[in-house]
Amino acid sequence: MFDGLKDKLNSFREDVEETAEEAADDADEPADDVDESTASADAAETEAADAESVAVDDNDSDDSAAAAAAETDAETPSSDESDSDDADDSSSGPGTLKRAAAFATGKVIIEEDDLEDPLWELEMALLESDVEMSVAEEILDTVEETMIGETRKQVETTGELVERALHDALVDVISVGQFDFDERIAEADKPITIVFTGVNGVGKTTSIAKLSEYLADRGYSSVMANGDTYRAGANEQLQQHAENLDRKIITHEQGGDPAAVIYDGVEYAEANDVDVVLGDTAGRLHTSDDLMSQLEKIDRVVDPDMTLFVDEAVAGQDAVMRAQEFNDAAAIDGTILTKADVDASGGAAISIAYVTGKPILFLGTGQGYEHIEPFEPEELVDQLLGNDE
Amino acid sequence: MVLDDLGSSLRGTLDDLRGKSRLEEDDIQEVVKQIQRSLLEADVEVDLVMELSDSIKGRALDEEPPGGTSARDHVLKIVYEELVELVGDSTELPLESQTILLAGLQGSGKTTTAAKMAWWFAKKGLRPAIIQTDTFRPGAYDQAKQMAGNAEVDFYGDPDSDDPVQIARDGLEETEQAEVHIVDTAGRHALEEELIAEIEEIDSVVDPDTRLLVLDAAIGQGAKEQAQRFEEAIGVEGVAITKLDGTAKGGGALTAVNETDSSIAFLGTGETVQDIERFEPNSFISRLLGMGDLKQLSERVERAMEETGAEDDDWDPESMLEGSFTLKDMQKQMETMNKMGPLDQVMDMIPGMGGGMMDQLPDDAMDVTQERMREFNVIMDSMTDHELEEPRSISASQVERIARGSGTNTERVNELLEQHKMMDRTLNQFQGMGDGDMQRMMKKMQDGEGGLGGLGGGGGPGGMM
Repeated sequence: MFDGLKDKLNSFREDVEETAEEAADDADEPADDVDESTASADAAETEAADAESVAVDDNDSDDSAAAAAAETDAETPSSDESDSDDADDSSSGPGTLKRAAAFATGKVIIEEDDLEDPLWELEMALLESDVEMSVAEEILDTVEETMIGETRKQVETTGELVERALHDALVDVISVGQFDFDERIAEADKPITIVFTGVNGVGKTTSIAKLSEYLADRGYSSVMANGDTYRAGANEQLQQHAENLDRKIITHEQGGDPAAVIYDGVEYAEANDVDVVLGDTAGRLHTSDDLMSQLEKIDRVVDPDMTLFVDEAVAGQDAVMRAQEFNDAAAIDGTILTKADVDASGGAAISIAYVTGKPILFLGTGQGYEHIEPFEPEELVDQLLGNDE
Repeated sequence: MVLDDLGSSLRGTLDDLRGKSRLEEDDIQEVVKQIQRSLLEADVEVDLVMELSDSIKGRALDEEPPGGTSARDHVLKIVYEELVELVGDSTELPLESQTILLAGLQGSGKTTTAAKMAWWFAKKGLRPAIIQTDTFRPGAYDQAKQMAGNAEVDFYGDPDSDDPVQIARDGLEETEQAEVHIVDTAGRHALEEELIAEIEEIDSVVDPDTRLLVLDAAIGQGAKEQAQRFEEAIGVEGVAITKLDGTAKGGGALTAVNETDSSIAFLGTGETVQDIERFEPNSFISRLLGMGDLKQLSERVERAMEETGAEDDDWDPESMLEGSFTLKDMQKQMETMNKMGPLDQVMDMIPGMGGGMMDQLPDDAMDVTQERMREFNVIMDSMTDHELEEPRSISASQVERIARGSGTNTERVNELLEQHKMMDRTLNQFQGMGDGDMQRMMKKMQDGEGGLGGLGGGGGPGGMM
C-alpha cells in the first residue's frame, strides 16, 4: 500500500529541488538590481545600505549578519516595495532586499512561483492516491504556508525542507486522536460492546471475525451479535465465521430488530463473563434516511463502548462523505480500513482520519482471519516519505 | 447520479462564457481546469482526466466554431462529444439466450447484481438462472439463493462443494431450460494470482457471451489496475456500476470502461432486485451537461397523459388547443404533471430548466411549487362546474366564497385566477401549431423564453414557482 504516493512524493521533492536551484541561479540578477536601486535610494535607507555591504562582503557566513539582514527586511517593508517598483517589476514574493540578503548569506528563498508547479504535481499525487480533494488542498495549503518565504541555507537541500513540511502536514492529518486500542480494551469494564458500521460490502462482518481472533490472541473472549437482520445470507455468513472460530453467536430472525440482537449479545456477555461483544450492523448507504435513523436508534439503545466505522482502502473521493455521515449518525471512535491488500494508494486513510477526527485503528490485509494489523500513522508517514530504509 | 456534480460545476464555468463569441486561451484554460477538477472529484483516474482535458483543450482552440455558434455552445459540444466518445454505447445485451459471467472485487455487489439482472431479463420475457460459484465467502450461497427467490428466477449452487469450476459446469447443465445464465463468482482482486487463475478457469468452462466487471460506484483510482487485470485474465465486455444510490460519482467506472475498451451495461440503485437500470448513454450525458433529456421527458408526458385521460372521459385535451382553456384543463394539467413524478425530476429533463437553472433555485423551491399545486387543487375543488368552465365570470364575492370554502384566502384564489390567465395567454400563442412549430416551441423553451407555459407552470420563479 501507498507505493504510488511514495513515488510521486519523491518526484515532487526533485521538482522543488530543481526550481529552487534555478532560483538560486537567478539570485545573481536581483542582487545587481539592488545595487543600482540602493545607490539611487534615499539616504534614510541606511539599513538598505547595510544589506548592500553584506552583499559586497560576499558569502559572509557570519550568522549574526545574516540575522540582521533578515530583520532589516522585516522592519522596512514599505521601502522594500518602493525599491522593487523602481528596480524590479517582477518581484511578487519576498522583496529584492531579502533575496539579496539571502543570496549574500548563502541562502535561497522559496517563492510562490517556485512552488506552483511542484504543488500541482503534489496535488495530482495526492489525488492519484485517492486522497479526497478538499483534504488534499488542506495538506497543500499547509505545505505551501510552511515553505513560502522560507529561507534555507544552500548547504541544506530543498528536499529536506519539503520533506519536513510534508511530514508535518501528513502527520497532522493522519495521527489525529490516535489511541492504543489494546490498552483501552484492557482498561475498560467488561463486557465491552463494540458496534461496527459502514456501507454495504466494505467488509464489516469479515472484520468482526478477524477482530474476534485478534482479541482471542490477546486473551479476551468475545461473542458476535448479528445486527444485520436485513441482508440475505447475513446470518449464515456470521454463523459460519463463528463456527470456524468456535465463538458464540447471537442471531435473530431476518427482519428482526437489530438493536435487540446486539442488546441480547450484551446480556449474554454479562451472564457468561464474556469480555467483548462484537455487534454487526447491516450495510447501509448514508443517503438512506430510514436506515441512518435506524443506526441512530441502535446507537441510542445499545449505547456501545466503542463504534468502529469500517470502510475500504479502495474507496475514492466518496470516503469523506460517508465517514462524515456515519460519524454524524453514530459517533465513531475509530476506523477499520479493509482491503488494504488490494493495493489502493491508501488515500482513504488520510481522508477519513481527517474528516472524522478519529484515528484509523486497523488495516484489513487479506481474506484470512489473521489478516488484520494495527495501523501506525507515524510508520505510514515515514514509509510514505521513504524513511523506512 | 454518476458525475452529477460535473454537470453543475461545468455549467457554472460555461456560463462565464455566455455572450462571448471568441474563445481566449485563458477562458479555455479555466474551463479545462474546472473539468479536470470535476472529473477528479468524481474518481475518474488522473491520467484519463488529463487525456480528456487535453483533447478538449486542443479541440476548443483549434476548431473554429461554426457560424452563429456561441463560444459556450462550441465548448459544450466538444465536451459532449468527448464524453460520448469515452462512454460509448450501452453494453449490447440482446434479448436472447446467453451466458453472462460476473467478476469483481470483494463487496462490489456481484451477488445482488446477479439477482437484479436476472429480474431484468425475466421482465423482458426471458427465463434466467443464477449460478452461484462463490464457495469462499460464508453465507454467499444463502444470500444468492434468497435473492434468486426474491427475483423469482431459477437458481443453482452447492453449499457443500468447494470447487467453483465444477459448480459452474454442473450449474449450466442443471439449469439447461433457462435462457439466460448468469454466473456469479467469488470476490477477488488483481493481486490474488490464485483467484485470478481460478476465474480464468471458470471463464473457460462457462464460455460466456458477455463478461461484466461489477464495480462499486465509490471505487477510486484503483479501478484502473483492477480493470486492467480482469481484462487481461478474462476480457471485460461491460461494466455494472453498483451503489449509485449513495453519493459516489462512479468515475471509477469510466476509468474501467476506458481501460477495458468496453462500455457500461447496468446501474444498480438500491437494495431490492428491482433497483436496476439499463445504462442509457444519451440520457446520461445530456443530463450531465444540463441539456435536458427530451426523449425521456416526452415518454413521461405521454404516459402521464394516458393515465390521466383514461380515468376521465369528460376531459378533452384537444379542446385546449382550440382556444378554450378552462380551469378544468388546468386542473388536469396539474394532475398530469403530478403523475409524471417528482417535479424536480421532471424539471431536470427539460432543456434549459435542468441543471443550471435548477442550481439557482433554492433547495425547497420544488417543494414550494408542489405545495402550491396542491393548494390550487383544493381551491378548484371548492368551485362550481360553471366557475371551472368560465373562470373569467368569477366575481369578487365568489372569490370570497371559494376562499372560505377551501380554507384559504382571497389572495390565493386570485393568484390561481392570475395563473390561469397567464397560461391561457401562453396557450393562445401556440394555437394552430403543426409539428414543426412544436419544435420551435421547444427551441424557445431551450432559450429560456417560453418557460413552462404549455405544461402548466407559470414561467419563471415569479409564476408557478
